[in-house]
Amino acid sequence: MTPVDLQELTAMALEEIARADSLDRLDEVRLRYLGRRDGLVTLAGQRLRELGPEQRAVFGQEFNRASGQLRSALETRQRELAAGEAERREDAEWVDMSHPFREADQGHAHPVTGLIREIEDIFAFLGYQSVGGPELEDDQHNFQLLNMPPEHPARDAHDTFYLSPPAGGWLYRTHTSPVQMRAMLGSPPPLRIIVPGKVARRDNPDPTHTPVFHQVEGLCIDHGVTLGDLKGTLEYAIRALFGRDRRVRLRASFFPYTEPSLEADVACAVCQGAGCRTCLQKGWIEILGSGMVHPQVLRNGGVDPGTYSGFAFGMGPDRIAVLRYGLTDLRDLYENDLRLLECF
Amino acid sequence: MRVSHEWLGEMVDLEGVEPAQVADLLTLSGTEVEKVTPFGVGLDQVVVGEVVGLRRVEGSDHLFLAHVAIPGLEPREVICGADNLFVGALVPWARPGTHLPIGVEIGRKRLRGIWSEGMLCAPDELGLGSDHDGVLILSPEDAEVGMPLARLYPADHLYELEVLSNRADCLSHWGVARELSALLSRPLRDPEASRPAPSSAAPAVQVTVASSADCPVYLAEVLTGFSNAPAPAFVRRRLTAIGQRSLGGIVDLANYVMFEVGQPLHTFDLDRLPAPGDELAVGVRRGRTGESLTCLDGVTRELDPETLVVTVGDAPQAVAGLIGGEASAVGGDTSQVLLEAANFNWARLRSTSRRLRLRTEASGRFERQLSPHLARRGADRFVHLAVRHLGARLGPGAEGGAPLAPAEAIRCDPVRISSILGMELGPEAVASPLRRLQFEVWPGDGEMLATPSPYRTDVTTEVDLAEEVGRIIGYREVPGTLPAIRQPPPLEALAEPVARLTSAACRAAGFSEAMSLSLVSGERERLAPRLVGDLAHLELANPLSMQLGSLRQGLLQGLLQSAHHNQARGQDSVRLFEQGAAFWARGQERPEEPWMLAVLDLADGSAEDGATRLRRIMALIASLSSVGGGGAVEFRPVAWPALHRARAAEVWAGAERRGIVGEVAQPVTDAFDVRGRVEVAELRLDGWLKPGGRQGHAPPLPRTPALVLDLSVTVPSRALLGPALQAVAALGLPELERVTPIDEYLGDQLGTGVKGWTLRLRLRHPERTLTAAEGDRARQAVLRALELEVGAKPR
Repeated sequence: MTPVDLQELTAMALEEIARADSLDRLDEVRLRYLGRRDGLVTLAGQRLRELGPEQRAVFGQEFNRASGQLRSALETRQRELAAGEAERREDAEWVDMSHPFREADQGHAHPVTGLIREIEDIFAFLGYQSVGGPELEDDQHNFQLLNMPPEHPARDAHDTFYLSPPAGGWLYRTHTSPVQMRAMLGSPPPLRIIVPGKVARRDNPDPTHTPVFHQVEGLCIDHGVTLGDLKGTLEYAIRALFGRDRRVRLRASFFPYTEPSLEADVACAVCQGAGCRTCLQKGWIEILGSGMVHPQVLRNGGVDPGTYSGFAFGMGPDRIAVLRYGLTDLRDLYENDLRLLECF
Repeated sequence: MRVSHEWLGEMVDLEGVEPAQVADLLTLSGTEVEKVTPFGVGLDQVVVGEVVGLRRVEGSDHLFLAHVAIPGLEPREVICGADNLFVGALVPWARPGTHLPIGVEIGRKRLRGIWSEGMLCAPDELGLGSDHDGVLILSPEDAEVGMPLARLYPADHLYELEVLSNRADCLSHWGVARELSALLSRPLRDPEASRPAPSSAAPAVQVTVASSADCPVYLAEVLTGFSNAPAPAFVRRRLTAIGQRSLGGIVDLANYVMFEVGQPLHTFDLDRLPAPGDELAVGVRRGRTGESLTCLDGVTRELDPETLVVTVGDAPQAVAGLIGGEASAVGGDTSQVLLEAANFNWARLRSTSRRLRLRTEASGRFERQLSPHLARRGADRFVHLAVRHLGARLGPGAEGGAPLAPAEAIRCDPVRISSILGMELGPEAVASPLRRLQFEVWPGDGEMLATPSPYRTDVTTEVDLAEEVGRIIGYREVPGTLPAIRQPPPLEALAEPVARLTSAACRAAGFSEAMSLSLVSGERERLAPRLVGDLAHLELANPLSMQLGSLRQGLLQGLLQSAHHNQARGQDSVRLFEQGAAFWARGQERPEEPWMLAVLDLADGSAEDGATRLRRIMALIASLSSVGGGGAVEFRPVAWPALHRARAAEVWAGAERRGIVGEVAQPVTDAFDVRGRVEVAELRLDGWLKPGGRQGHAPPLPRTPALVLDLSVTVPSRALLGPALQAVAALGLPELERVTPIDEYLGDQLGTGVKGWTLRLRLRHPERTLTAAEGDRARQAVLRALELEVGAKPR
């Protein structure tokens, strides 16, 4: 073996490395030339011992260079082959990444509950607790304690569902206001509550009525609560619900359980106040009734009107949903059509 | 109610005030203006013409050819389709070139070979209401041939008002003018009402009121010497403007006074009343059983002791405050009348009106607590107009009822008013709006006294005064503030409500939220699966329909209906949940209102079979109970009405049954017209899940390695996994951390009547590595437990 032989051997090995087309083949090449026991280059190296010192030095250098060259060629080729093999495997695992997914397979909240939640959160920010109350009530809580004795004209607006005997003493609440009475009678002031829930009135279903619908009641009773506080609270809540720049107006109204009484309107979103079909040419849309709790109602709730004052308000999330989401028929809220629900 | 700008202008100066501003002021102060309509605007080009000739157009069955004349012009031919024309009629004539207020320009038109010179107009074509029954025929008393129609109909605007139910005083022009006078700070001019000295030539009257609670005041006036003349033009024009038909001079005047000052009046024809002797004995009393009265509308109504009646000579002549009798009605030949200006108890009238299913302009006013003080104003105003315009003579009147109590003074402290409204108001700032509302105000040291206008029945306390001050100043002026929070809100308010936890869990599992009415058909709901079991429905006493006649006992009926709705609209996969109250009867006791959750999964022709979807619902229930702090749940197979006999289970948590889950039986899906397999659950959440949900607790987390072993067994093919795993848990093996069923093999290879289970056991010792022998012992123990419980054999 001479340095020239070694060079030929190396050249052959390099050629075979270049030709190896898989990691397995490459490994065969490695074993053939650099195998620990009988690799051709390894064997050549063992011959160093048989040489004299001068030759040994020359050949040794030559040998180190050749084996280093082979090792690095093997490594390079191995990296190349490994990369190619990963590519082939991944190619085989093709997935259509253009698949047009719409959204994750999640359910959707009903638009009305979504709005109720929003209202609860707005008022939670102002320190109000959300509470519930029974949907079936007695005349006392639904009417009498709220300053509506039998035959009171204001009852006209509350066309009431009564239950049949033997449950004849009960009615389906016509508003969430009886929960005001329950809250006052249940714990002493200060009170800051918000009461979302279902109510019912004997209206035939049509695009603007459903016999069962939702209300959200609010009540704040504390020392020195004023109508200005009511105004500030409503303006905040209404802007939070309808947008910062939405115009709001308060106008005098009448409810037996509040004095003074106010209704709140927002500028019609369709015509911005100019008057259109949506707002019945008024330019404004009524969204909420409110007022300072009547002193007699406070007394009925066991609260001393000399010490405390308060305000109350009630709004209809169904109607707000119609306004906000551009629905044309209130009844659609109770059809549970997934094409609608999926938009919320 | 409709009011006229022009009419209001007679009582309060509206010079320079636009209709839009009037509408805004009234609306913001509580009398909502729903609509403003111009009336008689732009009629200066239309002239009054006289029909001097009239014939049918040849070859037409409905067209007439009228010759219309005005002074200084040859008669012109005008074709007209209305059939109420006659020779001599005075009519509004829009000549070619006229612009009508409804936005039409009139031209010369050729019809059936004749040139028609313009148009003879119906009221609606002139913007004078909606009447299109024929050409407007003008009365020769008012109209002069050739004058512009605008002189008869001065430009006006009509306001459609929504008067608040406590403001009977605003159901009149005078009342609305009082409001505007206060809002605009302009003086109020009361309608003229002078009374001549009564003549003694007229019959005498006597009034007896049985109960002044039923009838606080009854004024009777006798007026004689009426001719058959129509009411003056301004009366008829104004009545037309607000949509009232003209019914003859006397009735028109009575209506006019009602719409002007707000007091309903009734006129009886004196000659048609029974008058034994010379004196008219008028009475107000309750009806008697068996009595009846034929009313103005021709209907005979039964009277009873709940009904108030007006009698003459003890014979009923009117249902008090509601409707008069036919026999004593005023007609074209009436020459003397008995005028009634009275006030009747609002509650009594309300119930009578409801019982008789009759509402009139009069009863609507009394029902809202009209002030009894108005009766005198009404009577005097009628007398004034009748004497001046219809040539009537006043006789000696009479009155009944109790003396009217004057309006009571109310203490009024500007400091308290300020603290209600939330704005600083001095004594003058409080007194001024009240005075402008015709209240009397007596200033004092600090507190003052205010006496409301006698026509206001709604102002009785200091808060009522605060409202008056606030709405007249305008709520725009009140600064918006927030109430100070001096005490922290209750801590419970921070806990996430069960409804939110539940909704989040259901949505995460792919279910969308439904919302149904609480009213159902009980019959239909009894077909659906229900947690409540066998319980009679709560029924409505006054339902809208049988479909909405009962209160729901559960929520699945609604979801099945929604499933049908969606399927019918092409949705092949429907996953819905609903939360809400159901209603369970408890006899006379307050009904129970459980808070329910129902879920429904329907997939017609989907790759997922029913069992897979059923398991997803069961997994949802387990995770709901877990996040809601309801603990571990157990499913106990059961036979349940309306559910598949081999696919139904009760849901238990702790020692309570919380719900049912299963596949809806096919006859039920057929009844609800739903195709495919429908998997459902219904759960009662109150008393189970807790606000704030699961209170997490960190377990020890040993660093020692786990030993994981798989155990495969064969068991009978209907072996139940639930009890099997409970038996394993009951072993109480300290190192057995978790048992997970990872496979169920149902193939034939294991033989018939058996199936295979593979359970993965995860074992761990807190301090050291477990040995293989320890693992094997645990596996043997588990195997023995399974063998005893379900007859498992190693595989």
